[in-house]
Amino acid sequence: MANSITSLTQGLPVEIGKIDRELKRLWQEGEGAATRASLINFAVYCEGGDAMRENTEIISKITQDHACRAILIGLDRATPGASVEACISAHCHLSRAGAKQVCCEQISFLLGRDGLPLIPNIVFSHLDSDLPLVLWWRGDLPEESEEQLWTWVDRLLFDSQAWAKPAEEFQLLRTSIEPASPRMTLCDLNWTRSLYMRQAVAQIFDHPEYLDELSGLTRVEIAHGPGMRSTALLLAGWLGAQLRWKLESFDPQGLRFLDGDEKPVAVALWEERGRAVGSMRMSTADGSFVVAHHEGSSFLHADIQLAGNPESHYLMPGGKDDIVCLLNDELMSGGKHKVYLKAVNMIARAL
Amino acid sequence: MPQPCTVVIFGATGDLTHRKLIPALYNLAEDGDLPSSLTVVGFARRDKTDEEFRKELEEATRKFSRQSVHDELWQSFAKRVFYHRSEFGDPEGYKRLAKRLEEIDAQFGTRGNRLFYLSVAPSEFEGILKNLKEYGLNKSPTGGWSRVIVEKPFGYDLATARELNEVVNNTFAEGDTFRIDHFLGKETAQNIMVLRFANGIFEPLWNHRYIDHVQITASEPLGVEGRGPYYDNSGALRDMVQNHLLQLLCLTGMEPPTDLSADSVRDEKVKVVRSLRPLHGEEVAKNVVRGQYVAGAINGKPVVGYREEERVNPQSMTESFVALKLNVDNWRWADIPFYIRVGKRLPKGGTEIAVQFRNAPAVLFNKATNEVGANVLVIRIQPDEGISLRMQAKIPGTALRIEPVKMDFHYGTSFGKASPEAYERLLLDAMSGDATLFARRDEVEQAWKFIDEIEHAWHVSANPPPLFTYAAGSWGPKEADELIERDGRTWRRL
Repeated sequence: MANSITSLTQGLPVEIGKIDRELKRLWQEGEGAATRASLINFAVYCEGGDAMRENTEIISKITQDHACRAILIGLDRATPGASVEACISAHCHLSRAGAKQVCCEQISFLLGRDGLPLIPNIVFSHLDSDLPLVLWWRGDLPEESEEQLWTWVDRLLFDSQAWAKPAEEFQLLRTSIEPASPRMTLCDLNWTRSLYMRQAVAQIFDHPEYLDELSGLTRVEIAHGPGMRSTALLLAGWLGAQLRWKLESFDPQGLRFLDGDEKPVAVALWEERGRAVGSMRMSTADGSFVVAHHEGSSFLHADIQLAGNPESHYLMPGGKDDIVCLLNDELMSGGKHKVYLKAVNMIARAL
Repeated sequence: MPQPCTVVIFGATGDLTHRKLIPALYNLAEDGDLPSSLTVVGFARRDKTDEEFRKELEEATRKFSRQSVHDELWQSFAKRVFYHRSEFGDPEGYKRLAKRLEEIDAQFGTRGNRLFYLSVAPSEFEGILKNLKEYGLNKSPTGGWSRVIVEKPFGYDLATARELNEVVNNTFAEGDTFRIDHFLGKETAQNIMVLRFANGIFEPLWNHRYIDHVQITASEPLGVEGRGPYYDNSGALRDMVQNHLLQLLCLTGMEPPTDLSADSVRDEKVKVVRSLRPLHGEEVAKNVVRGQYVAGAINGKPVVGYREEERVNPQSMTESFVALKLNVDNWRWADIPFYIRVGKRLPKGGTEIAVQFRNAPAVLFNKATNEVGANVLVIRIQPDEGISLRMQAKIPGTALRIEPVKMDFHYGTSFGKASPEAYERLLLDAMSGDATLFARRDEVEQAWKFIDEIEHAWHVSANPPPLFTYAAGSWGPKEADELIERDGRTWRRL
């Protein structure tokens, strides 16, 4: 059976110079049955042949909420040279409005191990014009990269939690990548992981009665999942940056800040099974504020105990830690993430 | 429908004839747009019989035609195709041609109407035209018409263009001279006037009050592709800007013509070229960036640098990329820059005009802290001809998040009928005597006058601006980015 855009879930190998022609042909054949939709260019870089399959599945889920042209680029370190193989596929979903399928194109490239320098050209050549470019760079950032690539990126997604040497990667980000593109927004999925926790904490202290307690915080305890220390550090950095604390010292157990009145604030970090950020307890002389994920609940539970006040309990959206949810949350957010950069600067030494 | 005629192609064994001209004529026949008695005579140096010539053309047409070739129609078409062997400078060959054309007139009823197509190097023009005149072929023997189509380049600079125009106009009147610029034959190029003047919503906005700037881009991933000697002598500015891109600029910037006659339209176009702010000396360094590609990658494959290309001077200073900031000094376009960018070995092939409108006021949704993009109207000339309009829209959800969305019109999918190739329209117009889509002498000379200043600054002045390099597969030298970023703008992403 001939391929049509609606049945092209598996990749159709194509000659790299004929990608546009093949896509056009497929759309013509599928005309009437499907509508092409695209609001962003979503480019994904990953390493390894298996990662291509995994990322294709992720892209398929992402396209349900974010119509895009997906460009998946995989680097296979087991393949010598700078070879390039390309294929096209489509992700079709029934539209909310009716029976017509809405389809998003995916163009996939598998590069040989020396193929890294080809990436700018591959991205530039296959963009849907006029739409923003979101580049999700999985793994360590490239040490040597084409400056022009970064100037074209509107949002650079990465996950600092996966970095082997976060301090070096952040340095690279600040010195080589960010200055190349003033318009680029840095989007750390590790930061997105704490989105719902941050929103919950911010909401609690929006209450006029609790706002004054912020300046009296003496101790913060953050429980994080295995391997998620950097997520907790970013959360601590966020609190410190927003409250204008200064980082005094740090060790494996946590961080010590000085608040605006030069009073010490200890932030303890520990690992426990569960969510990336399982709980956050903030203590003052008058009591405590705890925001935590409870097992079996998809909400965040906020418990407030203050001397002279009845205990309060709130439920707030808890989000999910899986990568598709993180990407969806990130792609739904706008703005420049300026607070993120402040948080990173606050705890950079501790990373 | 044009009158019956004979199309005489000089340089009939060349690439253009095989790839474009004959497939275009066949497609016109297929669509029923050609007079049934049209005949074609190929004029070239190589020894060939009519049958051999027809065979070659059939193969080429099957390969390059936009429509599949029907045997029956091809047989009928091919019967009226002939080959005439002669040196371009041999008077005897023209004497025989005149006789042969008379025979064709008698046999096929082509009424003495002739269309001469000069698909040869400009150095051959003079010899051909002199001989056509000598043997009376520049006039129809029977009161019909005799016209000439001239392929670019129309000269190398203003002096040679004038010389060439003199040579052509010594044989054919300006009204019978058709200087072909295939960009103008493209459906979307023709649609620029329709878009502007047949729609009520655009023209009121088409001026300095509402437009921020215009970008015209012509990019191609190809290198010089065997045209080394020609290209190395020409460069991107002469090869593309002087003709194609200035034509697109004219169509974008011109005032509404009084009517749709060829001269009314061309009068308006030439006014735009005349209004271009001349660039002299240091202004060239400030407003023009030239670049040459070095080794890089295209479509995942490594490619050599320009100087390593076949038959290119290894020390060549020829530009394969040029970016310009131009100003049209008239009321409509006061202080509105036109940014032009053209180059070889760029990541993506495409030609487009992008009209970027001014930003919405910086209140409500467009604050300095959260700028939203501008509206952009894009006219895609090739490939995938069409028009798109970028606008801002709220993303569904409780938060107020604004992102650009695109309304897209594609000729290919919106109309069941495929757009004719540019050469189809242009050949048909030349047969019909309609010169609207052809460059007039004064347009060509004005364009050269403007271009010559830049070429002079590059190649003659004592202190020429540098020739920058860019990796093949990138979007040109970073200095081109700086040219536009200096004004707080960026090149569009194709």
